[in-house]
Amino acid sequence: MRTRRMAPVRTFMHLMRFRERTMKLSFAIPAALMIALLGASATHAAKVVEEIELRGMVTPASPKALSAALEEQLDVKVLGYNFYATANGWPTVKIEYDSGAVSRDQIDKVINSTEDPTGRPFAVHVPDREIHLALLEEETKAESVLGSDAPDIAQVTNPIAASPESHARGEKLYMQHCSKCHGETGNGAGPSAHGFSMNPRQLWAWHNADASADPYLFWMITNGRTDMPPWGVILSENERWDLVNYIKTFEPPKQ
Amino acid sequence: MAETIKPPRMRIKRRLKQDEIFKVKVRFDHPSFTGLGMVDENEEKFNRAVPSTFIRNMLVYYGDELVSRFRTSSALADRPLFTFKLKAVKEAPVTVVFIDDQGERWETSEEVKFKG
Repeated sequence: MRTRRMAPVRTFMHLMRFRERTMKLSFAIPAALMIALLGASATHAAKVVEEIELRGMVTPASPKALSAALEEQLDVKVLGYNFYATANGWPTVKIEYDSGAVSRDQIDKVINSTEDPTGRPFAVHVPDREIHLALLEEETKAESVLGSDAPDIAQVTNPIAASPESHARGEKLYMQHCSKCHGETGNGAGPSAHGFSMNPRQLWAWHNADASADPYLFWMITNGRTDMPPWGVILSENERWDLVNYIKTFEPPKQ
Repeated sequence: MAETIKPPRMRIKRRLKQDEIFKVKVRFDHPSFTGLGMVDENEEKFNRAVPSTFIRNMLVYYGDELVSRFRTSSALADRPLFTFKLKAVKEAPVTVVFIDDQGERWETSEEVKFKG
């Protein structure tokens, strides 16, 4: 018999904090001894360059505000931002820091406590952990017998060429259906974009993307995901292709 | 609301005719919880605070053959009841296997027997 894991959250967190504190103490004494033995040369500084995925970057002034906050509050160097062709559409910030002086937790804390000039908070993007759980052998075997239910993105080609007319049709549809959540400039911060389990995707990642991005965008508009509805039941196929063409025109904020 | 996990239970008709379509009912006392919660009182948004608990897979075997699979999520009810139909093509056990998101496994089985 296993008891339910719905124990009060606060009790769980207290336990975790207590464990952290006791662990710190148990590490502190041997560490002090080591430093005393090795003398002042016992430094473990190492320069680390890390790329961190971000949510909440919505205005052209955003990168400046975040860089300023990071460099003022911590001893770190912001090397740059990437708004183009990121792995999953979230913009990234590249930071160089000394792992002996600054911890990743401190960086996350500063990012999560900084606000954009429009008053919208930034956040470090954390992927959902549920999707990384390993399957049992029996489940893997079942997938091989009955087939996987991972999204099967059909490799279709866009029948509508990108043209000013297609962009105009796409813009009209976008403003009517998509802008409430994804924002009029594709920044993922429309007037209705709050209270969702995940922020709406920022659409700059596909700026001037080539034809290889078409099947994914078309599949995503057609089927939706998490809080995004399946637009395949509302919009015709040509309308969805016009939207794909229009999404590629969004420009990321200037640095 | 199920506080503890009990072994799953299955119910089918005791005697069946050849090629009869029969109903299988499976009840499993398993909780379903997303793991999201408020860590601090001042927090405005839900965060993943404790491990989640839900059934992620249900596999149905008729004899040695895998005949169906149900992929479920944390949106499933606590203590769910599954009902589905099968065709009695052979005298063999029907086995239902549950696997939760922690990788724990439970199973229940009932024999299909023909009349006469």
